[in-house]
Amino acid sequence: MIRLSGTLAEWLLALPLGAVFIYASFDKILDPAAFARIVYHYQLIGPSRVIGPLPANLLAVTLPWVELLAGLLLASGFWRREAAALSALMLAVFLVAVGAALARGIDIENCGCFSVTEQGRRAGAQLLVADAGLLAAALYLARPRAPADR
Amino acid sequence: MRFRFAGRVCAIGLLAAGLGLAWNAVSGRGLALGRNVMVKEGDEVVPVAEARARIEKGALAVDARPIDFYNMQHIPGALPLPEDDFEAAFAAIETRLRASSDVLVYCAGFGCEASHNLSRKLKQHGIPAAILEEGWPAWQDAGYPIQEGPRP
Repeated sequence: MIRLSGTLAEWLLALPLGAVFIYASFDKILDPAAFARIVYHYQLIGPSRVIGPLPANLLAVTLPWVELLAGLLLASGFWRREAAALSALMLAVFLVAVGAALARGIDIENCGCFSVTEQGRRAGAQLLVADAGLLAAALYLARPRAPADR
Repeated sequence: MRFRFAGRVCAIGLLAAGLGLAWNAVSGRGLALGRNVMVKEGDEVVPVAEARARIEKGALAVDARPIDFYNMQHIPGALPLPEDDFEAAFAAIETRLRASSDVLVYCAGFGCEASHNLSRKLKQHGIPAAILEEGWPAWQDAGYPIQEGPRP
């Protein structure tokens, strides 16, 4: 029997967080090449002479699907803790990527968060704050629980 | 318990990665994984050492970055052709471009698409132009000579 589990607070966090991830995945899934260009701009995993374009391309092709799947699981409640852990991991990586770009003075005109077109938002300190907020929600949802309230 | 949790996290990641690779293969929107998406069929991309050799033999270097960057530093002898001001800049150096049998475009390195776009624009004007791989940073890192200040 399917039964809704989780406290009200968890649902109130998981539904919007899941929605954010699902929404974030669409544009990238529809235009992987445009998203790959954005990954290149971060200059963290290439392309470079040493590692070539493969790591950046693989990330561009797979990351949106991790976002979509994690978002669906978060919103549906199935394997929610696991999906939340994966979301927290992604958000932590985004935090590091944006922070590293800012620290190195790389101007990321479009962070690639939601839109892959030119109108996307610029990577800045504001974005770090928003990311940290989502990360806190994901960590809360991923926290270990006593067997009784699982 | 902990192992099952980690296993499920990995399972979600692997399933998603598999879906992504499958979508990339069959959707028709995919990209060639082993190729820089900025490089298109017909582009000539040249490593920095070869670029230098060609420039020493008389190839004309063209700087596709915004003019402020050119004015700070550029490859010696390079002419400015900022992508964001193409029409005017092209008119200013068109004769030089057409007189040169070997044109090499560069911009701000990986992640910069201006040199790729510019080489195609030049091709449309009947001027074949190669692209410097990794652009300006590669030139700098190689320790090759650098010219400072705006075009005399």
